[in-house]
Amino acid sequence: MDAIGQGIAEAFRLIASGDAEIFEIVGLSLYVSCLSVLISTCAGIPAGIFLGIHEFRGKGILVRLIYTFMSTPPVIAGLTVFLILMRRGPLGRFQLNYTPTAMIIAQICLVTPIIIGLTYNIVKEKAPVISRLGITLGAGSPARMKLLIYEMRVGLTTAVVSGFGRAISEVGAVMIVGGNIKGMTRVMTTYITELKGMGNYERAIAIGLILLTLSFLINAVLYHFQERESR
Amino acid sequence: MDLRFENLQKAYEGKLVLNLHEGTIKSGSRTAVIGPNGAGKSTLLNLIAGLDTPNAGHIYYSGSLNIPAREITLVFQSPYLISTTVERNIAYPLKLRGWKEDAIQQRVEELCGELNLMEFRRKKAWKLSGGETQKVALARALSFHPKLLLLDEPTANIDPATTGEIEKMLETINQREQTTVVLITHNLAQARRVCDRCLFLKDGELVEEGSAEELLLHPRKALTAKFIAGELLI
Ligand SMILES: Nc1ncnc2c1ncn2[C@@H]1O[C@H](COP(=O)(O)OP(=O)(O)OP(=O)(O)O)[C@@H](O)[C@H]1O
Ligand SMILES: [Mg+2]
Repeated sequence: MDAIGQGIAEAFRLIASGDAEIFEIVGLSLYVSCLSVLISTCAGIPAGIFLGIHEFRGKGILVRLIYTFMSTPPVIAGLTVFLILMRRGPLGRFQLNYTPTAMIIAQICLVTPIIIGLTYNIVKEKAPVISRLGITLGAGSPARMKLLIYEMRVGLTTAVVSGFGRAISEVGAVMIVGGNIKGMTRVMTTYITELKGMGNYERAIAIGLILLTLSFLINAVLYHFQERESR
Repeated sequence: MDLRFENLQKAYEGKLVLNLHEGTIKSGSRTAVIGPNGAGKSTLLNLIAGLDTPNAGHIYYSGSLNIPAREITLVFQSPYLISTTVERNIAYPLKLRGWKEDAIQQRVEELCGELNLMEFRRKKAWKLSGGETQKVALARALSFHPKLLLLDEPTANIDPATTGEIEKMLETINQREQTTVVLITHNLAQARRVCDRCLFLKDGELVEEGSAEELLLHPRKALTAKFIAGELLI
Protein backbone atom coordinates (compact mmCIF):
# COMPACT_ATOMS: atom_id res chain seq x y z
CA MET A 1 0.00 0.00 0.00
CA ASP A 2 2.84 2.28 0.98
CA ALA A 3 4.64 1.70 -2.31
CA ILE A 4 1.57 2.84 -4.23
CA GLY A 5 1.15 5.99 -2.17
CA GLN A 6 4.82 6.79 -2.57
CA GLY A 7 4.57 6.05 -6.26
CA ILE A 8 1.75 8.50 -6.73
CA ALA A 9 3.55 11.20 -4.73
CA GLU A 10 6.72 10.63 -6.74
CA ALA A 11 4.69 10.72 -9.93
CA PHE A 12 3.37 14.19 -9.18
CA ARG A 13 6.86 15.34 -8.19
CA LEU A 14 8.28 14.06 -11.49
CA ILE A 15 5.57 15.69 -13.54
CA ALA A 16 5.86 18.97 -11.66
CA SER A 17 9.67 18.98 -11.94
CA GLY A 18 9.36 18.87 -15.72
CA ASP A 19 11.58 15.78 -16.06
CA ALA A 20 12.99 16.07 -19.57
CA GLU A 21 13.11 12.34 -20.30
CA ILE A 22 9.47 11.89 -19.37
CA PHE A 23 8.36 14.72 -21.59
CA GLU A 24 10.39 13.35 -24.47
CA ILE A 25 8.73 9.96 -24.08
CA VAL A 26 5.24 11.46 -23.85
CA GLY A 27 6.04 13.58 -26.90
CA LEU A 28 7.16 10.59 -28.95
CA SER A 29 4.06 8.60 -27.91
CA LEU A 30 1.82 11.42 -29.04
CA TYR A 31 3.78 11.92 -32.25
CA VAL A 32 3.64 8.24 -33.25
CA SER A 33 -0.02 7.74 -32.33
CA CYS A 34 -1.28 11.03 -33.77
CA LEU A 35 0.48 10.52 -37.06
CA SER A 36 -0.63 6.89 -37.40
CA VAL A 37 -4.23 7.87 -36.59
CA LEU A 38 -4.09 10.75 -39.06
CA ILE A 39 -2.92 8.47 -41.85
CA SER A 40 -5.37 5.73 -40.87
CA THR A 41 -8.19 8.29 -40.89
CA CYS A 42 -7.28 9.58 -44.36
CA ALA A 43 -7.27 6.01 -45.68
CA GLY A 44 -9.93 4.43 -43.48
CA ILE A 45 -12.83 6.87 -43.77
CA PRO A 46 -12.88 6.91 -47.60
CA ALA A 47 -12.45 3.12 -47.63
CA GLY A 48 -15.30 2.68 -45.13
CA ILE A 49 -17.55 4.98 -47.16
CA PHE A 50 -16.68 3.13 -50.37
CA LEU A 51 -17.49 -0.23 -48.77
CA GLY A 52 -20.74 1.10 -47.35
CA ILE A 53 -21.98 2.48 -50.65
CA HIS A 54 -20.78 0.06 -53.31
CA GLU A 55 -21.65 -3.55 -53.95
CA PHE A 56 -19.04 -5.79 -55.54
CA ARG A 57 -17.96 -9.42 -55.60
CA GLY A 58 -16.09 -10.56 -52.52
CA LYS A 59 -17.38 -7.69 -50.41
CA GLY A 60 -18.78 -10.02 -47.77
CA ILE A 61 -15.42 -11.70 -47.28
CA LEU A 62 -13.61 -8.36 -47.24
CA VAL A 63 -15.91 -7.01 -44.55
CA ARG A 64 -15.42 -10.13 -42.41
CA LEU A 65 -11.66 -9.79 -42.79
CA ILE A 66 -11.79 -6.16 -41.71
CA TYR A 67 -13.89 -7.09 -38.69
CA THR A 68 -11.26 -9.69 -37.83
CA PHE A 69 -8.42 -7.21 -38.24
CA MET A 70 -10.24 -4.80 -35.93
CA SER A 71 -9.15 -7.01 -33.07
CA THR A 72 -5.73 -8.14 -34.28
CA PRO A 73 -3.45 -8.66 -31.27
CA PRO A 74 -0.86 -5.85 -31.41
CA VAL A 75 2.05 -8.30 -31.13
CA ILE A 76 0.91 -10.01 -34.31
CA ALA A 77 0.66 -6.71 -36.18
CA GLY A 78 4.08 -5.79 -34.77
CA LEU A 79 5.62 -9.09 -35.75
CA THR A 80 4.24 -8.92 -39.28
CA VAL A 81 5.51 -5.39 -39.82
CA PHE A 82 8.86 -6.36 -38.28
CA LEU A 83 9.27 -9.30 -40.66
CA ILE A 84 8.44 -7.17 -43.66
CA LEU A 85 10.83 -4.41 -42.62
CA MET A 86 13.72 -6.57 -41.36
CA ARG A 87 16.92 -6.50 -43.33
CA ARG A 88 16.19 -9.71 -45.20
CA GLY A 89 12.49 -8.84 -45.57
CA PRO A 90 10.78 -7.45 -48.66
CA LEU A 91 11.19 -3.82 -47.54
CA GLY A 92 14.48 -4.39 -45.77
CA ARG A 93 16.50 -1.94 -47.81
CA PHE A 94 14.73 1.00 -46.15
CA GLN A 95 16.17 -0.07 -42.76
CA LEU A 96 13.10 1.08 -40.89
CA ASN A 97 13.02 -1.32 -37.96
CA TYR A 98 13.76 0.32 -34.62
CA THR A 99 12.68 3.74 -35.88
CA PRO A 100 9.54 5.77 -35.09
CA THR A 101 8.53 5.28 -38.74
CA ALA A 102 8.26 1.52 -38.20
CA MET A 103 6.17 2.17 -35.10
CA ILE A 104 3.85 4.41 -37.10
CA ILE A 105 3.49 1.76 -39.79
CA ALA A 106 2.66 -0.91 -37.21
CA GLN A 107 0.05 1.29 -35.57
CA ILE A 108 -1.47 2.16 -38.95
CA CYS A 109 -2.01 -1.59 -39.40
CA LEU A 110 -3.81 -1.73 -36.08
CA VAL A 111 -5.89 1.43 -36.39
CA THR A 112 -6.97 1.47 -40.06
CA PRO A 113 -9.26 -1.59 -39.80
CA ILE A 114 -10.95 -0.06 -36.76
CA ILE A 115 -11.67 3.16 -38.61
CA ILE A 116 -12.79 1.34 -41.77
CA GLY A 117 -15.04 -1.03 -39.81
CA LEU A 118 -16.71 1.63 -37.71
CA THR A 119 -17.13 3.97 -40.70
CA TYR A 120 -18.59 1.15 -42.81
CA ASN A 121 -21.18 0.41 -40.14
CA ILE A 122 -22.42 3.99 -39.97
CA VAL A 123 -22.44 4.43 -43.76
CA LYS A 124 -24.39 1.22 -44.27
CA GLU A 125 -27.08 2.52 -41.97
CA LYS A 126 -27.20 6.15 -43.09
CA ALA A 127 -26.29 6.23 -46.78
CA PRO A 128 -29.55 4.94 -48.32
CA VAL A 129 -31.72 7.42 -46.42
CA ILE A 130 -29.39 10.36 -46.97
CA SER A 131 -28.99 9.61 -50.63
CA ARG A 132 -32.78 9.49 -51.16
CA LEU A 133 -33.20 12.72 -49.23
CA GLY A 134 -30.42 14.40 -51.21
CA ILE A 135 -31.98 13.42 -54.53
CA THR A 136 -35.39 14.77 -53.53
CA LEU A 137 -33.84 18.10 -52.56
CA GLY A 138 -31.86 18.42 -55.78
CA ALA A 139 -28.40 17.62 -54.40
CA GLY A 140 -25.87 16.27 -56.90
CA SER A 141 -23.57 13.48 -55.82
CA PRO A 142 -20.80 15.69 -54.35
CA ALA A 143 -23.40 17.53 -52.27
CA ARG A 144 -24.93 14.22 -51.18
CA MET A 145 -21.53 12.97 -50.07
CA LYS A 146 -21.02 16.17 -48.09
CA LEU A 147 -24.43 15.74 -46.47
CA LEU A 148 -23.66 12.11 -45.64
CA ILE A 149 -20.38 13.06 -43.95
CA TYR A 150 -22.12 15.84 -42.06
CA GLU A 151 -24.79 13.43 -40.81
CA MET A 152 -22.12 10.96 -39.71
CA ARG A 153 -19.95 13.53 -37.96
CA VAL A 154 -20.46 12.19 -34.45
CA GLY A 155 -19.97 8.57 -35.49
CA LEU A 156 -16.85 9.38 -37.51
CA THR A 157 -15.33 11.28 -34.62
CA THR A 158 -16.01 8.32 -32.36
CA ALA A 159 -14.28 6.03 -34.86
CA VAL A 160 -11.19 8.23 -34.96
CA VAL A 161 -11.04 8.54 -31.19
CA SER A 162 -11.42 4.77 -30.79
CA GLY A 163 -8.51 4.35 -33.18
CA PHE A 164 -6.44 6.79 -31.17
CA GLY A 165 -7.30 4.97 -27.95
CA ARG A 166 -6.06 1.74 -29.50
CA ALA A 167 -2.85 3.34 -30.77
CA ILE A 168 -1.81 5.20 -27.64
CA SER A 169 -2.50 2.29 -25.31
CA GLU A 170 -1.01 -0.66 -27.19
CA VAL A 171 2.40 -1.93 -26.26
CA GLY A 172 2.99 -5.09 -28.29
CA ALA A 173 3.44 -3.59 -31.74
CA VAL A 174 5.64 -0.63 -30.82
CA MET A 175 7.75 -2.88 -28.62
CA ILE A 176 8.47 -5.36 -31.41
CA VAL A 177 9.20 -2.89 -34.21
CA GLY A 178 10.55 -0.06 -32.03
CA GLY A 179 12.49 -1.98 -29.44
CA ASN A 180 12.02 0.58 -26.64
CA ILE A 181 15.40 2.26 -27.37
CA LYS A 182 16.06 5.12 -24.98
CA GLY A 183 15.86 8.51 -26.67
CA MET A 184 14.86 6.89 -29.97
CA THR A 185 11.82 4.66 -29.88
CA ARG A 186 10.81 4.66 -26.23
CA VAL A 187 7.12 5.46 -25.71
CA MET A 188 4.94 5.50 -22.62
CA THR A 189 3.68 1.94 -22.78
CA THR A 190 7.02 0.30 -23.52
CA TYR A 191 8.65 2.42 -20.84
CA ILE A 192 6.10 1.33 -18.24
CA THR A 193 6.82 -2.29 -19.10
CA GLU A 194 10.54 -1.75 -18.66
CA LEU A 195 10.18 0.26 -15.44
CA LYS A 196 8.07 -2.47 -13.94
CA GLY A 197 10.76 -4.99 -14.85
CA MET A 198 13.34 -2.88 -13.07
CA GLY A 199 11.12 -2.46 -10.00
CA ASN A 200 10.99 1.31 -10.52
CA TYR A 201 7.33 1.62 -9.62
CA GLU A 202 7.28 5.39 -8.96
CA ARG A 203 8.23 6.30 -12.51
CA ALA A 204 5.94 3.56 -13.86
CA ILE A 205 3.03 5.04 -11.94
CA ALA A 206 3.97 8.55 -13.08
CA ILE A 207 3.89 7.54 -16.74
CA GLY A 208 0.71 5.55 -16.15
CA LEU A 209 -0.97 8.61 -14.69
CA ILE A 210 0.06 10.75 -17.65
CA LEU A 211 -1.26 8.11 -20.06
CA LEU A 212 -4.57 7.97 -18.21
CA THR A 213 -4.85 11.74 -18.10
CA LEU A 214 -4.27 11.99 -21.85
CA SER A 215 -6.94 9.37 -22.52
CA PHE A 216 -9.29 11.19 -20.20
CA LEU A 217 -8.73 14.52 -21.94
CA ILE A 218 -9.28 13.10 -25.41
CA ASN A 219 -12.45 11.34 -24.35
CA ALA A 220 -13.66 14.46 -22.57
CA VAL A 221 -13.30 16.42 -25.81
CA LEU A 222 -15.19 13.69 -27.70
CA TYR A 223 -17.91 13.62 -25.08
CA HIS A 224 -18.29 17.37 -25.25
CA PHE A 225 -18.63 17.21 -29.04
CA GLN A 226 -21.20 14.41 -28.88
CA GLU A 227 -23.21 16.30 -26.29
CA ARG A 228 -23.11 19.52 -28.25
CA GLU A 229 -24.28 17.80 -31.43
CA SER A 230 -27.15 15.91 -29.84
CA ARG A 231 -28.61 18.41 -27.42
CA MET B 1 -44.83 20.78 -64.99
CA ASP B 2 -46.90 18.12 -66.69
CA LEU B 3 -46.08 14.45 -66.64
CA ARG B 4 -46.72 11.69 -69.09
CA PHE B 5 -46.07 7.95 -68.71
CA GLU B 6 -45.76 5.47 -71.51
CA ASN B 7 -45.67 1.74 -70.93
CA LEU B 8 -44.09 2.33 -67.57
CA GLN B 9 -43.05 -0.90 -65.87
CA LYS B 10 -41.26 -1.68 -62.65
CA ALA B 11 -40.47 -5.12 -61.31
CA TYR B 12 -38.96 -6.12 -58.00
CA GLU B 13 -37.40 -9.54 -57.71
CA GLY B 14 -38.98 -10.59 -60.98
CA LYS B 15 -42.46 -9.52 -59.95
CA LEU B 16 -44.13 -6.75 -61.90
CA VAL B 17 -45.38 -4.21 -59.34
CA LEU B 18 -46.16 -1.33 -61.67
CA ASN B 19 -47.50 -1.52 -65.21
CA LEU B 20 -48.98 1.70 -66.58
CA HIS B 21 -49.85 1.75 -70.29
CA GLU B 22 -50.25 5.46 -70.41
CA GLY B 23 -51.21 8.33 -68.19
CA THR B 24 -50.96 12.07 -67.90
CA ILE B 25 -50.76 14.46 -65.01
CA LYS B 26 -51.54 17.97 -66.13
CA SER B 27 -49.45 20.95 -65.20
CA GLY B 28 -50.88 22.83 -62.25
CA SER B 29 -53.23 19.99 -61.28
CA ARG B 30 -53.60 18.41 -57.86
CA THR B 31 -53.74 14.67 -58.35
CA ALA B 32 -54.58 12.12 -55.69
CA VAL B 33 -53.14 8.62 -56.11
CA ILE B 34 -55.25 6.10 -54.24
CA GLY B 35 -55.29 2.33 -54.04
CA PRO B 36 -54.79 -0.56 -51.64
CA ASN B 37 -51.51 -1.37 -49.90
CA GLY B 38 -48.95 -2.71 -52.32
CA ALA B 39 -50.74 -1.24 -55.34
CA GLY B 40 -47.55 0.43 -56.56
CA LYS B 41 -48.32 4.01 -55.52
CA SER B 42 -44.98 4.66 -53.81
CA THR B 43 -43.18 2.88 -56.62
CA LEU B 44 -44.77 5.30 -59.10
CA LEU B 45 -43.74 8.35 -57.08
CA ASN B 46 -40.20 7.05 -56.62
CA LEU B 47 -39.89 6.59 -60.37
CA ILE B 48 -41.16 10.09 -61.04
CA ALA B 49 -38.77 11.54 -58.45
CA GLY B 50 -35.82 9.69 -59.97
CA LEU B 51 -35.23 7.61 -56.84
CA ASP B 52 -35.59 4.47 -58.88
CA THR B 53 -35.41 3.57 -62.57
CA PRO B 54 -38.15 1.80 -64.50
CA ASN B 55 -37.51 -1.58 -66.12
CA ALA B 56 -39.30 -0.37 -69.20
CA GLY B 57 -41.15 2.65 -70.50
CA HIS B 58 -40.69 6.35 -70.16
CA ILE B 59 -41.70 9.32 -68.09
CA TYR B 60 -41.87 12.66 -69.90
CA TYR B 61 -41.41 15.79 -67.84
CA SER B 62 -43.07 18.60 -69.78
CA GLY B 63 -42.27 16.64 -72.90
CA SER B 64 -38.65 15.91 -72.00
CA LEU B 65 -37.12 12.59 -71.01
CA ASN B 66 -34.53 14.31 -68.82
CA ILE B 67 -35.58 14.52 -65.24
CA PRO B 68 -35.40 18.12 -64.01
CA ALA B 69 -34.11 16.99 -60.60
CA ARG B 70 -33.83 20.53 -59.25
CA GLU B 71 -37.49 21.32 -59.87
CA ILE B 72 -39.04 18.20 -58.39
CA THR B 73 -39.31 17.17 -54.78
CA LEU B 74 -40.80 14.37 -52.76
CA VAL B 75 -42.02 14.43 -49.17
CA PHE B 76 -42.01 11.05 -47.41
CA GLN B 77 -44.40 9.73 -44.80
CA SER B 78 -41.65 9.70 -42.18
CA PRO B 79 -39.34 12.42 -43.39
CA TYR B 80 -35.65 12.50 -42.57
CA LEU B 81 -34.57 15.83 -41.16
CA ILE B 82 -30.91 16.77 -41.21
CA SER B 83 -29.53 16.69 -37.65
CA THR B 84 -29.39 20.41 -37.21
CA THR B 85 -31.87 23.22 -36.58
CA VAL B 86 -35.25 23.66 -38.26
CA GLU B 87 -34.03 26.81 -40.05
CA ARG B 88 -31.01 25.08 -41.51
CA ASN B 89 -33.17 22.21 -42.73
CA ILE B 90 -35.41 24.61 -44.61
CA ALA B 91 -32.42 26.56 -45.90
CA TYR B 92 -30.55 23.50 -47.18
CA PRO B 93 -32.06 23.27 -50.69
CA LEU B 94 -31.54 27.02 -51.09
CA LYS B 95 -27.86 26.77 -50.11
CA LEU B 96 -27.54 24.02 -52.73
CA ARG B 97 -28.98 26.38 -55.29
CA GLY B 98 -26.57 29.14 -54.37
CA TRP B 99 -29.10 31.58 -52.94
CA LYS B 100 -27.77 34.66 -51.15
CA GLU B 101 -27.82 34.54 -47.35
CA ASP B 102 -30.42 37.30 -46.90
CA ALA B 103 -32.71 35.83 -49.55
CA ILE B 104 -32.47 32.50 -47.72
CA GLN B 105 -33.30 34.13 -44.39
CA GLN B 106 -36.31 35.84 -45.90
CA ARG B 107 -37.60 32.67 -47.53
CA VAL B 108 -37.15 30.64 -44.32
CA GLU B 109 -39.10 33.23 -42.36
CA GLU B 110 -41.86 33.33 -44.93
CA LEU B 111 -42.32 29.56 -44.79
CA CYS B 112 -42.08 29.37 -41.00
CA GLY B 113 -44.76 32.03 -40.84
CA GLU B 114 -47.07 30.24 -43.25
CA LEU B 115 -46.70 26.86 -41.55
CA ASN B 116 -46.75 28.17 -37.96
CA LEU B 117 -43.16 27.11 -37.34
CA MET B 118 -41.85 30.44 -36.05
CA GLU B 119 -41.32 29.27 -32.49
CA PHE B 120 -39.41 26.16 -33.63
CA ARG B 121 -37.01 27.94 -35.97
CA ARG B 122 -33.94 27.44 -33.78
CA LYS B 123 -35.03 24.09 -32.39
CA LYS B 124 -33.00 20.97 -33.19
CA ALA B 125 -34.78 18.73 -35.66
CA TRP B 126 -34.68 15.61 -33.46
CA LYS B 127 -36.69 17.33 -30.75
CA LEU B 128 -39.75 17.92 -32.92
CA SER B 129 -43.00 15.97 -32.75
CA GLY B 130 -44.17 13.98 -35.75
CA GLY B 131 -46.49 16.73 -36.96
CA GLU B 132 -43.84 19.42 -36.55
CA THR B 133 -41.33 17.23 -38.39
CA GLN B 134 -43.75 16.79 -41.27
CA LYS B 135 -44.35 20.54 -41.51
CA VAL B 136 -40.61 21.22 -41.55
CA ALA B 137 -40.16 18.62 -44.29
CA LEU B 138 -42.91 20.33 -46.28
CA ALA B 139 -41.37 23.77 -45.74
CA ARG B 140 -37.99 22.41 -46.86
CA ALA B 141 -39.55 20.86 -49.96
CA LEU B 142 -41.35 24.09 -50.86
CA SER B 143 -38.41 26.39 -50.11
CA PHE B 144 -37.06 26.43 -53.64
CA HIS B 145 -40.46 26.78 -55.38
CA PRO B 146 -40.55 23.31 -56.97
CA LYS B 147 -42.61 22.93 -60.11
CA LEU B 148 -43.68 19.43 -59.10
CA LEU B 149 -44.43 18.41 -55.52
CA LEU B 150 -44.83 14.70 -54.78
CA LEU B 151 -46.16 13.60 -51.41
CA ASP B 152 -46.23 10.02 -50.13
CA GLU B 153 -48.87 9.83 -47.38
CA PRO B 154 -47.71 13.07 -45.77
CA THR B 155 -50.44 13.11 -43.12
CA ALA B 156 -50.69 9.43 -42.25
CA ASN B 157 -49.73 9.91 -38.58
CA ILE B 158 -50.69 13.53 -38.19
CA ASP B 159 -53.48 15.04 -36.07
CA PRO B 160 -56.48 16.72 -37.78
CA ALA B 161 -55.39 20.29 -37.03
CA THR B 162 -51.90 19.82 -38.46
CA THR B 163 -53.35 17.85 -41.38
CA GLY B 164 -55.54 20.88 -42.03
CA GLU B 165 -52.51 23.19 -42.00
CA ILE B 166 -50.68 20.95 -44.46
CA GLU B 167 -53.69 20.67 -46.77
CA LYS B 168 -54.16 24.42 -46.72
CA MET B 169 -50.50 24.92 -47.61
CA LEU B 170 -50.81 22.52 -50.55
CA GLU B 171 -53.77 24.46 -51.90
CA THR B 172 -52.04 27.78 -51.35
CA ILE B 173 -48.91 26.92 -53.30
CA ASN B 174 -50.91 25.24 -56.03
CA GLN B 175 -53.00 28.41 -56.47
CA ARG B 176 -50.16 30.88 -56.01
CA GLU B 177 -47.34 29.16 -57.88
CA GLN B 178 -49.22 26.70 -60.10
CA THR B 179 -47.16 23.92 -58.51
CA THR B 180 -48.24 20.51 -59.77
CA VAL B 181 -49.14 18.38 -56.75
CA VAL B 182 -49.29 14.57 -56.67
CA LEU B 183 -50.54 13.20 -53.38
CA ILE B 184 -50.67 9.57 -52.28
CA THR B 185 -53.28 9.19 -49.59
CA HIS B 186 -55.42 6.55 -47.94
CA ASN B 187 -57.68 9.30 -46.68
CA LEU B 188 -60.35 9.55 -49.36
CA ALA B 189 -61.91 12.61 -47.76
CA GLN B 190 -58.53 14.27 -48.01
CA ALA B 191 -58.25 13.28 -51.65
CA ARG B 192 -61.55 15.06 -52.28
CA ARG B 193 -60.66 18.09 -50.17
CA VAL B 194 -57.25 18.69 -51.71
CA CYS B 195 -57.27 17.26 -55.20
CA ASP B 196 -59.04 17.91 -58.47
CA ARG B 197 -57.83 14.72 -60.19
CA CYS B 198 -57.61 11.17 -58.96
CA LEU B 199 -55.84 8.00 -60.08
CA PHE B 200 -56.90 4.63 -58.70
CA LEU B 201 -54.17 2.00 -58.84
CA LYS B 202 -54.48 -1.67 -58.03
CA ASP B 203 -51.91 -4.44 -58.52
CA GLY B 204 -49.69 -2.00 -60.37
CA GLU B 205 -52.36 -1.18 -62.95
CA LEU B 206 -54.23 2.07 -63.46
CA VAL B 207 -57.83 1.00 -62.93
CA GLU B 208 -59.56 4.33 -63.19
CA GLU B 209 -58.68 7.95 -63.70
CA GLY B 210 -60.83 11.04 -63.55
CA SER B 211 -61.82 14.13 -61.66
CA ALA B 212 -61.52 13.54 -57.93
CA GLU B 213 -65.13 14.44 -57.29
CA GLU B 214 -66.44 12.06 -59.93
CA LEU B 215 -64.12 9.15 -59.27
CA LEU B 216 -64.67 9.24 -55.52
CA LEU B 217 -68.42 9.86 -55.58
CA HIS B 218 -69.52 8.13 -58.79
CA PRO B 219 -66.83 5.66 -59.81
CA ARG B 220 -67.34 4.07 -63.19
CA LYS B 221 -65.53 0.80 -62.46
CA ALA B 222 -66.86 -1.79 -60.02
CA LEU B 223 -63.37 -2.27 -58.54
CA THR B 224 -63.10 1.42 -57.74
CA ALA B 225 -66.53 1.44 -56.14
CA LYS B 226 -65.61 -1.55 -54.00
CA PHE B 227 -62.36 0.06 -52.89
CA ILE B 228 -64.09 3.29 -51.98
CA ALA B 229 -66.77 1.45 -50.07
CA GLY B 230 -64.01 -0.31 -48.11
CA GLU B 231 -65.04 -3.71 -49.42
CA LEU B 232 -62.07 -4.41 -51.62
CA LEU B 233 -60.07 -7.35 -50.36
CA ILE B 234 -56.46 -7.25 -51.45
N1 LIG C 1 -37.37 -2.18 -52.78
C1 LIG C 1 -38.26 -3.15 -52.97
N2 LIG C 1 -37.86 -4.44 -53.07
C2 LIG C 1 -38.75 -5.42 -53.29
N3 LIG C 1 -40.06 -5.22 -53.41
C3 LIG C 1 -40.54 -3.96 -53.32
C4 LIG C 1 -39.66 -2.86 -53.08
N4 LIG C 1 -40.41 -1.74 -53.04
C5 LIG C 1 -41.69 -2.14 -53.22
N5 LIG C 1 -41.76 -3.46 -53.38
C6 LIG C 1 -43.01 -4.22 -53.64
O1 LIG C 1 -43.70 -3.57 -54.65
C7 LIG C 1 -45.10 -3.58 -54.42
C8 LIG C 1 -45.63 -2.16 -54.49
O2 LIG C 1 -45.09 -1.44 -53.40
P1 LIG C 1 -45.45 0.09 -53.14
O3 LIG C 1 -44.60 0.52 -52.00
O4 LIG C 1 -45.33 0.86 -54.39
O5 LIG C 1 -46.97 0.02 -52.70
P2 LIG C 1 -47.91 1.18 -52.19
O6 LIG C 1 -49.04 1.28 -53.14
O7 LIG C 1 -47.14 2.41 -51.92
O8 LIG C 1 -48.45 0.55 -50.83
P3 LIG C 1 -48.76 1.24 -49.41
O9 LIG C 1 -50.11 1.80 -49.51
O10 LIG C 1 -48.72 0.08 -48.48
O11 LIG C 1 -47.69 2.24 -49.16
C9 LIG C 1 -45.28 -4.24 -53.08
O12 LIG C 1 -45.71 -5.55 -53.30
C10 LIG C 1 -43.91 -4.21 -52.44
O13 LIG C 1 -43.72 -5.36 -51.64
MG1 LIG D 1 -46.51 3.44 -50.18
